[in-house]
Amino acid sequence: MRLLLVEDNARLASLIREGLDRQGFAVDWCETVDGAEHALKINDYDLMLLDLGLPDGEGLDLVRRLRRRQDTVPILILTARGGLDDRVLGLDAGADDYLVKPFQIPELAARCRALLRRPGASLGTELTVGNVILHSAERSVAVAGLAVEATPREVDLLECLLRRAGHVVAKPALEGALYSLDAEVTPNALEACISRLRKRLTTAGADVQIRTVHGVGYALFAPVTVYG
Amino acid sequence: MDRAGNSKKGPVGPTLFRQIATRLAAFTLLFALLDVGIVVITYSRQPESLAQELLTLEANKAEGSTTLAPDLLAGPPGAEHWAARYVESNADRSSAAPLRVNAPTGILMDWTRRERVPGGYRISGVRSVVQDGQQRWLFMQFEGDGIRPYVPVIVNEIVQHVILPLIPLSLLLLLFNVFAVRRVLQPLRRAEAEVDALDPDNVLLRLSEAPEPREVNTLVRAVNRALTRLDETMAILRGFTANAAHELRTPLSIMQLSLDNLPASPLRDDLQADTQHMTRLVGQMLDLAQADALAVEPDTIVDLADIGREIVATMAPKVFEAQRDLRFDAVGDTRALGHAEAIYRIYRNLIDNALAHAPGDTPIEVTAGPGPQISVRDHGPGITDEDLPHIFERFWRKDRRKTDGAGLGLGIVQRLAQAHGGTIAVENAPGGGALFRVTFAAPEANG
Repeated sequence: MRLLLVEDNARLASLIREGLDRQGFAVDWCETVDGAEHALKINDYDLMLLDLGLPDGEGLDLVRRLRRRQDTVPILILTARGGLDDRVLGLDAGADDYLVKPFQIPELAARCRALLRRPGASLGTELTVGNVILHSAERSVAVAGLAVEATPREVDLLECLLRRAGHVVAKPALEGALYSLDAEVTPNALEACISRLRKRLTTAGADVQIRTVHGVGYALFAPVTVYG
Repeated sequence: MDRAGNSKKGPVGPTLFRQIATRLAAFTLLFALLDVGIVVITYSRQPESLAQELLTLEANKAEGSTTLAPDLLAGPPGAEHWAARYVESNADRSSAAPLRVNAPTGILMDWTRRERVPGGYRISGVRSVVQDGQQRWLFMQFEGDGIRPYVPVIVNEIVQHVILPLIPLSLLLLLFNVFAVRRVLQPLRRAEAEVDALDPDNVLLRLSEAPEPREVNTLVRAVNRALTRLDETMAILRGFTANAAHELRTPLSIMQLSLDNLPASPLRDDLQADTQHMTRLVGQMLDLAQADALAVEPDTIVDLADIGREIVATMAPKVFEAQRDLRFDAVGDTRALGHAEAIYRIYRNLIDNALAHAPGDTPIEVTAGPGPQISVRDHGPGITDEDLPHIFERFWRKDRRKTDGAGLGLGIVQRLAQAHGGTIAVENAPGGGALFRVTFAAPEANG
């Protein structure tokens, strides 16, 4: 995994690099908007971590320029700006996630992984959380190295949850992924599917956990959560 | 929550209407006195015409009382030798002889004579009166001294020429005054209502400028200019907040990440906890500064349920981590006027508060609706009456020995609710636990 970190504070940048390095990411670092443009031209990055107030320009302008160029590199904004409108401004500009300083390395790493697990992103083909592996191309699931039988719908559901592991996926998003628009979805069809998937994973000895968030959706958690 | 309360005491000082009415009344009185003075002076210089008027007045009295002989009438006050009787036009002139009549001869007509006698004057004359449709002639004579006999005449004159015309005129003026003042002051009253409705935190609003009267127009424009300056100050404050955030957060990040790199030790754990506390404190102070500077666009419609689902989804991992359950429910129409991110923070702070104050493994229930309201309920000990007045105070904590919070969370919630023109209420829910409810403004029915 190759990440580009754009951060003008050298000390903070080196601390982030060290931290992410321990989490298994390779991080290149530059200090300016120009430096970032240059690095993006030379290398292919899986993810960009971008500070907003840079010595030679505004990080958001870089985001807008990249998106105008149809550059789809995932962008995580890493900023001290925590104003009421800043997050929306960042996401509207085309960034994929927005993290306000100060943060902790495990949280940053979790957010990076979530972005990398998106369809089309670098981790998109083989999704691994705990001892559960899903090969998105072959539509197969394995727990602790052993293949697990699952219906296509259950695989779809697991894929959605794995891609957003550690985060809550809203019910409408899951239903949208499981059923075509014209299909009749009974209110508890999703619930039934989740319940079958849970049973299957438990039987196979999976160490991940699917939790219900009442009124909102479901979340899949890794055995040792990255929070706290 | 109503901080305009103390400034909304009854208005001080007289109203403009009262001021104008008082001045008008005083002016009318002065005018009346002046008029009376003129009447008195004019007549005292013309005793002839006074005498004339006096006899006419007495004749009118006699005309009104057919039952009494004119002789028995009282006559003018202070008059001596009052005599009055009817004379017939064809009567023998000698019938008047016992009186010292020195009347003009010929056909009878109205006449008056005033002559000096020792110790005063004597007035005599004839007036034609009509009694029972019949014309008769009344002869009158008396002697008097000084102004006293003339008093009824003068009073009559004052009533006729001063009081009768002035009273209706003054009343009309007063009535006109009521309408005129009301009408002229209407724009001022409208401006007053608009100023009252101004939200101290929403400086986007301006008073509507009435084209007239010019005095009100200039006042309204001056107020609007002041509001603009206030707006600029707010912008400076917001700019400062953003700068402060940047300046404080980067060093805090460095501190936190550096500590992570130290070898594990109890000291490192303590320092990490301290840094986290400081981070939280700085974050809340900045949140509060932003909440203080928040200007809510009055026409943005948000769905409280959407925001609620988002915050519950975001916070659920953290809540599950604490072995707690977080539930969300939406009831009915949940649209409201507001700022999505601000409402997001209201939810977040209320959930954080529930996490901190309700014991482990009890669920936290978040609800949007029905209508433009949200609520967060925990299953903790609730809030005692003793603590109730303090919970929204900034930097207040029930137990100051605990170091996990700064006591700003609920203050931020209250501030954000106020910025929306909304309210926050807290109650102990049936079955135990605290229930915080924030109410916003509903969008227009068809909006």
